[in-house]
Parts: sequence; structure tokens; C-alpha cells
Amino acid sequence: MKKLAILIVVMALGSFISHAQIQKVDQEVFGMDCAPCAYGLERGLKKMDGLEKVKVSLNDGKAYLKLSENNNLSLKQIQDEVKKNGFSAKKAEVVIEGKLINKNGGFQLQTDNETYLVANESSDDLISKLQSGTIKIKGIVEDAEDDNLSGTWKIKLTEIL
Amino acid sequence: MKIPITFIRIILSSILSISAISISNAQGHGPLYGLPTPTLAKGGVNLNVAGMSLSTEDETSYMLRYLFSYGITEDLQINLTTPTMIERLDNSPRTRGNSNMPANSDIEASLWYRFFSNAFGVGKRFESTVIFGVSAPTDDVRGQVNVGNSVHGAISTGYASRTWYAWLGGGYQYYLERDNEQLGDLPYASLVVGYRPDIFMGDYPKPDWRIFVESLAEFPGDNKYIAQPNFTEERSKKVLIGSSFLGLYGAWGISFGALVPIVQDLIPGAVKENYRVSFNLSYWL
Repeated sequence: MKKLAILIVVMALGSFISHAQIQKVDQEVFGMDCAPCAYGLERGLKKMDGLEKVKVSLNDGKAYLKLSENNNLSLKQIQDEVKKNGFSAKKAEVVIEGKLINKNGGFQLQTDNETYLVANESSDDLISKLQSGTIKIKGIVEDAEDDNLSGTWKIKLTEIL
Repeated sequence: MKIPITFIRIILSSILSISAISISNAQGHGPLYGLPTPTLAKGGVNLNVAGMSLSTEDETSYMLRYLFSYGITEDLQINLTTPTMIERLDNSPRTRGNSNMPANSDIEASLWYRFFSNAFGVGKRFESTVIFGVSAPTDDVRGQVNVGNSVHGAISTGYASRTWYAWLGGGYQYYLERDNEQLGDLPYASLVVGYRPDIFMGDYPKPDWRIFVESLAEFPGDNKYIAQPNFTEERSKKVLIGSSFLGLYGAWGISFGALVPIVQDLIPGAVKENYRVSFNLSYWL
């Protein structure tokens, strides 16, 4: 009985401390053609709190971001920064830890500040393995209109981590 | 002791060349002479120092120019440029000079608005920009004509990729009358094609270089001045062609290039040009 009480307390504390968050983003960027463009984007991203590592590649047209533990960043903030630099943010490959819920016949992954709707295009095998609760997944976030970013995204799962 | 002007020129040229080489890099990410499209991020600041020289049949001008640019939004940019004249022309042709800097001794403030932008691939985009500027002269008389304030408007559209670039633009500068005299107006157009060879395709943060073939067509009108014998409504027709190089590394840019006239169909009293040479050092804050 005592052990069970300790376990409940630890679990409660754990759920209180852990953040549902993005951990890694490979953000596709269109329209970035020059070194100062990459420099400006890299500098802008580095100014954001919660990033551990930033690398911008002109040839790949991508910004590779590793986010720090307990960050509070959202994908919307990252894509807004891309837009602020005059470019267009497209698809993003992300690693996210969040709370998965089954709602309206589909799965939603919720982080502290955003919602990711699991796309039907995800493989049936992966979808069949989904269970409500805390989960860490890898997937491709579909492109959203730059001027209309809402914080709700559609994600195609590629891996359950 | 009087220092010969030639000596000053040599010293200045040397300092400018050394600084250009040692600091490495240019003006925006586009052409030197033709009209480009703005690229500053929202809140971005860009500082430029340019050296410009224009040679006519009888004399050569030397000028340093400073350009401060600020990105109000990613599509709206404000610019202010001021000159330091080292040697003025007694009789200068009507021209804009560099893409976003006057070739004469005007102080100019301008707004650049990118009204269309379509980023459609990795490193690729189409964009169009409209430009409006006002300027005030730092000299009273230019080519024996009183100089007034002026307004400048232009429009430019461009394509950029990691390999090919192209810009097409046109503009118009109108000088206001001052004490019953007026400098001729200037309609002009520019066409620029750029290329980056594979050898300079290194990924950021490696430096990248690109080369531009630049062309300008200018149609300056006649000046109006007191005791003018024959004012003509006709315009001079000039076409200049040349090339420029742009090197970019991190927050730095350097560009340099020259234009030579291939067509000069001039009205009486207009000045015949030999060449234009420019370099530009740029830093993004």
C-alpha cells in the first residue's frame, strides 16, 4: 500500500513536470537563395528561447532545429519567423511528445500550445498502434497557408518512438 | 600644404579596395546597377558603403555613398542614402547610378514595397517591388543648371534561384524647378541576368559568388535654364551594358562592376559618357 502511494505521487509529479512539446523540427523553407538570407533566418531563429541547435541549409532549403528540454516553442512561432524573413515555410518533419486523445473518430496529439491532427494518410499499421495517453512520435506536418497559421496542424505519422 | 587630388584618389581607392578585399562581401543579393527587389527581414538592418565613379569625355567623378536600409516588414523597406563627393562633374549626365543610389550628390529617402512574392521552390521565388523616393541636392548648380528636389518612382520584378537570376525594371525621376531652371527628367529601364556556377554552390555558411550581366537604357530629357538658346522636347537615348560580381559570406556582401555605353544618341548639350565603375560593401545587422 505504501509503495502504491509512492508510485501515485511519482506519477503525479512526473505528469506535472513533463512538458508536451516539439523536440526536433526540420523545417522546409522556400525562396531562400542567398547567404545573407540564411544568415538572417539563422539569427532570427537563434533569438528564440528554447532552441538548442540551429542549422540552415541553402542547398536543402531547410532549417534544422533541435529544441531544448522543457521548451515552450510552437511550430507556429518557428514558421512565423520564417515568414518574417521573407520566405515561405512549407512542410516540416517533426519529433513531438504530447498527449494523444481519440476525439471525433480520429486521433489528436496535443502539446502545451498546439494540436496535431493525425492524418488518415498515415499508415494503417501505425494508426492501429496508437493508444490514448502520452506518446512520442515522428511525422510530417503538412504545409499550411503562411498568412493563416492557427496552431492546429495535420500530421502524417512516420514513426512511433 | 595642398595635397594633390590625384594623390587623395589613389589613397581612397587603395583604402576602399583593401577594405573590400579584407572584409569580403555587397548590395542586397542582387544587381549593382539594375533595379532589384528588397530582401530585408522584418526588423532587419542593412548598411552599405559604395564607391562610384563616372567618367565623361572631359572629366571623372568620384563619390562615396552610404545607404541605410530598414525592414519595416518583410515586404516594406525604408532607405536613406547620403553622398560624400570626392570630385564632382562640372557637367554631369542625368542618370540614377547604382540600383538604389543616385549617381549624383543627392540625399535620397525611399520606400520599397514588395507587392508580390511567390516562393515556389527551394531557393526559388518570383517577386515584384514598387519604389518611391524623394531627394534633395547637396549642390546648388549641376552642369550650369540650378538643382531642385526630385521625386523618383520605379517598378521592378525579379526571379531568383540558386543558379539563375533575372530582374526587369523601369523608373522615372523628375526634378522640380528651382529659380526658373530645371534639370531634365529621366525615364529609364534595366534588365539583369545573373548566374552562379556550380563551383560557387557551396552550402551556407560557405561564401557564394554570382555574376550578373547588367544593362541600362536611359532617356534623359533636356535641361531648362535661363538664356537657353534651344530647348528641345527630344530625349537622349543611351544604352549601357556591363557586368558585376557579387560575393556573399554570412552577414557580409561585396559587389563590384562596370558599365560602358554601347549606344549614345545625345541631344545637343548632353554629356557623352565613357564608363561607370562601382563597388559596394554591405553588412546586414
